[in-house]
Amino acid sequence: MTATKLMLNEITRVYHDGDTELTVLNKLSLEVKAGELVAVMGPSGSGKSTFLSIAGALLTPTSGEVLIDGESLAGKNGQQLSKLRLHNIGFIFQSANLLPYLKVEEQLMLVAKLADMDKRAAQARSAMLLERLGLLHRRSAYPNQLSGGEKQRVAIARAWMNDPAILFADEPTASLDASRGQDVVAMLAREVKAEGKAAVMVTHDERVLHLCDRILHLKNGVLVSA
Amino acid sequence: MYLALREMRFAKTRYLLIMAIMLLVSFLVLFVTGLAGGLAYANASAVENMPATHFLMQQDASQRFARSIVGEKELNKARSVVGDANAQRLGVQMTTVTGGTDGMKTDITLFGVDMGSWLAPTVVSGSAVSNTGAGEVVVDRKLAEEGITVGSLLHDQTTGLTWTVSGFTENQSFSHTPAVFMNLSDWQQLKQQMAGRAAADPAFAAPFNAIAIQATDAEAELLSQQLEGTAIITKKQAVASIPGYKEEQGSLMMMISFLFVISAFVLAVFFYVITIQKTSQFGILKAIGTKTFYLARSVVAQALVLAAASLAVSCMLVAVMQAALPASMPFQLSPVTIGYTCLLFIAMSLLGSLVSVIQVARTDALDAIGRAAG
Repeated sequence: MTATKLMLNEITRVYHDGDTELTVLNKLSLEVKAGELVAVMGPSGSGKSTFLSIAGALLTPTSGEVLIDGESLAGKNGQQLSKLRLHNIGFIFQSANLLPYLKVEEQLMLVAKLADMDKRAAQARSAMLLERLGLLHRRSAYPNQLSGGEKQRVAIARAWMNDPAILFADEPTASLDASRGQDVVAMLAREVKAEGKAAVMVTHDERVLHLCDRILHLKNGVLVSA
Repeated sequence: MYLALREMRFAKTRYLLIMAIMLLVSFLVLFVTGLAGGLAYANASAVENMPATHFLMQQDASQRFARSIVGEKELNKARSVVGDANAQRLGVQMTTVTGGTDGMKTDITLFGVDMGSWLAPTVVSGSAVSNTGAGEVVVDRKLAEEGITVGSLLHDQTTGLTWTVSGFTENQSFSHTPAVFMNLSDWQQLKQQMAGRAAADPAFAAPFNAIAIQATDAEAELLSQQLEGTAIITKKQAVASIPGYKEEQGSLMMMISFLFVISAFVLAVFFYVITIQKTSQFGILKAIGTKTFYLARSVVAQALVLAAASLAVSCMLVAVMQAALPASMPFQLSPVTIGYTCLLFIAMSLLGSLVSVIQVARTDALDAIGRAAG
């Protein structure tokens, strides 16, 4: 276990659009340490999604290096990256994105099953996470029976299930009202501190910024402090 | 299976509807297959149930019994190759008789055989016909439906001959007409009458249509080399050459193969549509680290479960129907045929799910980021 959970070294990503080249990220660097919740802001089209995809091992940068929990992603193939995402990275997407046909508990158990976690240990961990996020009484509900805030909390629990080193959240409050959004991010911050992990949250929502340890803006392909 | 079964549990209506379609198609497949089997049997059972392996016919008879004429010369030659007992005279003649309670006309097929040989029919009620008896016949049980009983008289239209029914055999039809078996001396008399000769002319050697042979393929090959102007055909070829047999089976086979293709397409379309609907779900699952293989297996598992469940139900339906069908309905479905049909059906379902597997493999995990997908 290292104190630096995420390290981005001079990441550049260039898109080709016909004859023109579009540099979305230009030598972007970032270091996130254990216990930190970092907010990344920026207008649409500034490259937030590209940034998140590269940091989350979904997209390969044109140049530069990504280290997750001290492990470099360079030279890994699709299957190895998939395995790394399963074990070391937690994702929270916009509007929750739970599987509609799985009950709350099963959403968590699926992730454990994919990672070949021992069933009893998985049940214990899922119960613990649901308890901490105040969802234990909803564990047999389907996503369509949950409120927006509850869905996002399930998504947070799912992201923590495999004990990842770092968690990426893609506008987790986009589909929530102000107070629910506050609750969800507060829980996220509390989990980061409790588990000694790191989290990077891309957001538009200024009302939740006071809960974050650092606020960065994505401008001209690099991250700058506010 | 974890995802596959839970999704089916959640979207019951959707999967039950597609299962209903699969059920109807697979039931139809089994039913038409049974019907094809039944019709084949009703058409050709007299030849199929003959313990012969090959038939010797005239070369230019297009493998048809009615067109072929062979005589003692060929018989002697055949017997010299395969042995006396293994080559037997076989006369086949379609005709129309009157008989029964209301004197109705019925088409029948006369078989002239040596009643002491392996060509003699198995008698299930009444008594058998000997080689010395005159004017006595064993008839297929189907004639009982026309009011024919043991002791009834059958009057032949063309020759004016009359035969007495001495016993019944079963499952003996030729070209959908019931078979009537007579001994060779009655056959001789029949042919004499048809040739317009006096009733008793010992010098007339009645021709017959074919020689039924019990032999190995090698012996049959040897025989065909030694005999000029004749053809040795297998029992299967002889059956297929019965008038109407190929046409009947051909159209039913076409229906069956279309049903198989339809079932594959129905599944393919269904899974393709729901897979496209679930593209964002697959994207999410891939983003959180699910292997493509796991997702593909899940789609295939669903197709298998659907196919297997609908087959199980349709097999039960077929069993119920088989018990309820009237005896006159030609329907025959052996467990082996059911087994092969089910296997083929499952194979077609797998083929149908393949399109969706490709679609799943193409889904990009990047779809999950930056999109407000449901």
